[in-house]
Amino acid sequence: MTNSISKKRGLGFYLHIYRMIVIQDIKSKMSYRSDFIISTVGMIATNVTGFISFWILFRNFPSISGWGYYEMLFLYGFSLISLTPVQCLFDNNWSLRQNVFSGDFIKYYFRPINIFFYYQSEIFDVKGLGQLAFGIGTLVYAWAKLGIPVTVLAVVELVVFLITASLIMIALQNAAAATCFWINNSFYVLDLAYKFRDYAKYPITIFGPVFKFVFTFLIPIAFIAYYPSLVILRPDEIPVLTWLSPVIGLIFFGLSYKFWMLGVRKYNGTGS
Amino acid sequence: MKVKKYITLLKAGVIESVQFRLSLFIMIVGNMLYLILIYYLWNAIYASAGTDKVNNMTFSDTLIYLVLATAIFNFMEMYAVWEIGRDIQSGKMALNLIKPMEYRSYLFWSYTGGLVTNFVATFLPTFIVIRIVTKDTIPLGLNLLYFLVSVLMAVEINYSIDFMVGTICLFTESIWGINIMKQVVVLLLSGATIPIAFFPETLKTVVYLLPFQAIYNTPLTILLGKESFENVVMMLGVQLFWCLFLGIASRVFWNISVKQITVNGG
Repeated sequence: MTNSISKKRGLGFYLHIYRMIVIQDIKSKMSYRSDFIISTVGMIATNVTGFISFWILFRNFPSISGWGYYEMLFLYGFSLISLTPVQCLFDNNWSLRQNVFSGDFIKYYFRPINIFFYYQSEIFDVKGLGQLAFGIGTLVYAWAKLGIPVTVLAVVELVVFLITASLIMIALQNAAAATCFWINNSFYVLDLAYKFRDYAKYPITIFGPVFKFVFTFLIPIAFIAYYPSLVILRPDEIPVLTWLSPVIGLIFFGLSYKFWMLGVRKYNGTGS
Repeated sequence: MKVKKYITLLKAGVIESVQFRLSLFIMIVGNMLYLILIYYLWNAIYASAGTDKVNNMTFSDTLIYLVLATAIFNFMEMYAVWEIGRDIQSGKMALNLIKPMEYRSYLFWSYTGGLVTNFVATFLPTFIVIRIVTKDTIPLGLNLLYFLVSVLMAVEINYSIDFMVGTICLFTESIWGINIMKQVVVLLLSGATIPIAFFPETLKTVVYLLPFQAIYNTPLTILLGKESFENVVMMLGVQLFWCLFLGIASRVFWNISVKQITVNGG
C-alpha cells in the first residue's frame, strides 16, 4: 500500500519530512532538560568505562593475537562511530514492542508515507552524538599514535566503510525489534541484539573457526568494525570480505527491512 | 512481623518468571554467546601473554571468575531502577505507597521469586558446566557454604545500591541515564568486567574501599577457595558492614525523599 505511493517521491521529499518530524521530537526532548543532560553524561560514562577496561587490560598484556593497544583502540573507536546511526536514528525500535502490544501502532497505518520511514523518524536520540564525539576522538588518537599516513583516499575509504558498517547493527536491531510482531516478550531479543555491540570491538581472529563463521555470515558483527577497519590498519593484507562489507551491509539492511515490513503486514492491531 | 506476606510475594514471582519460557530460553542463548566471547577473548589474551600466570591468576581462574560473575549478574540483576522509574512516571507509585507494606520490602520480595528461578535456571547449570570444563579447579567444601552466605549479602548490597539509585529518579525523572551510569560503574568497579586482581595498585586500593567489590569480587574470590579462613571471615565482615550500612542508608534516603515526591495521576 505504502510502497506504491512512496515510489513517486524523491529523496528530497523524505529529507524534508524527516527534518520536520525530528525538529518536533527535539523540541519535546528539550522540555526534559535534566533527563537529556543525565542521559548524555551516562552515555559518555559508558564509553569512558569501556576505555578504562582496555587500558587496564593492556597494562597486564602487551597484545591480543598480534593486535596492539592502539590498534585495539582504533577498532574500538571505529565500532563506536559505526554504532552511532543505530543509536541516533533508529532508537524508536525500542518502543515498537509497547506500541504493538498496546495497539497504538495501528495509527502509523494511516500515514500516507512509508510506515518504516515514518516510525523510525519519530525519534532522534541526541545522546548518541556524545558517543560519536568520543568515537571520533578515540579513532583520531589511535590513528595518530599508530603513525599511519593520512591520505585523501584513506579518509574517503574510512567514511564509506563507516557508513556501510553502520547498516549492520541497524539491520540486527530492526530484525530483533520486529520479532515483537510474532512473540510477546521480545524485549529479550532486542536486549540480546544490543549486547552484540560489545562483541564488535574485538578482532574476529580471536574466535575459533566456527564462531568466526557465525560472526561473519550469520550474525555479521565482524563487519561492524573488524573487516572494514582492516583497510586502514592492515593495508597490505586486505581480505576480500573487507571489500565486500559495503555490499553485505546493504544486503542485511534490505533483509531486515523486508522482515520488519512483513511484521507490519501481519499485524492486526488489538481491536481497541 | 508476618513472614507469610513475603513468602506469598516470593511464590508469585516464581510462578511469573516460569511463565515466560521463551524469554528464559533467549536469555540462556545470549548468556552462552557471551560466555563464548569471554572464553575466546581470554584464551587469546593468555596465549599472547606467554606465561601461565598473570597477577597470580591462571587462565582457568580468570575464566571461572568472569563466567561466574556473569552468572551472578544474570540472576541478581533485578532492574529495580527501571521498576521504580516506571512507577514514578506512570503514577503507580501512589498506589504502592499506600500498600500495607514498606515499598522497599515490597519491591524486594516481589523480585525474590525471579531470583530463585534464575539461580536454579542459569547460575547452577553455568556453575556445573564451568566446573567440568576447568577440570575441578573449584574445590567442593566449606567454600560453597561461605559462598552462599556471601551471595545472599551481595544480593542485599546490590539491591540497596539499586534502590538508592532508583530514589534519585524521584528527583530527576530520568531513568535511562541514571541506570546506565550505575550499571557501568558497578560492573567495572565490582570486577565483573575485568578481575580486580588485574587492576593497577592505586585503583585497587580505591576499589577495595568501595562497596561495589563486595557484590562480585568477594563471593567469587571465596568460591575459588584460595583464601585462608581468616581472610574469608574478614571479607564476609566487610560485606556485612556494607550490607547494614547501605541497607540503612537506602531506607533513610528513601524516607526523606518520598516526602518531596509529586505523583502524576495514577
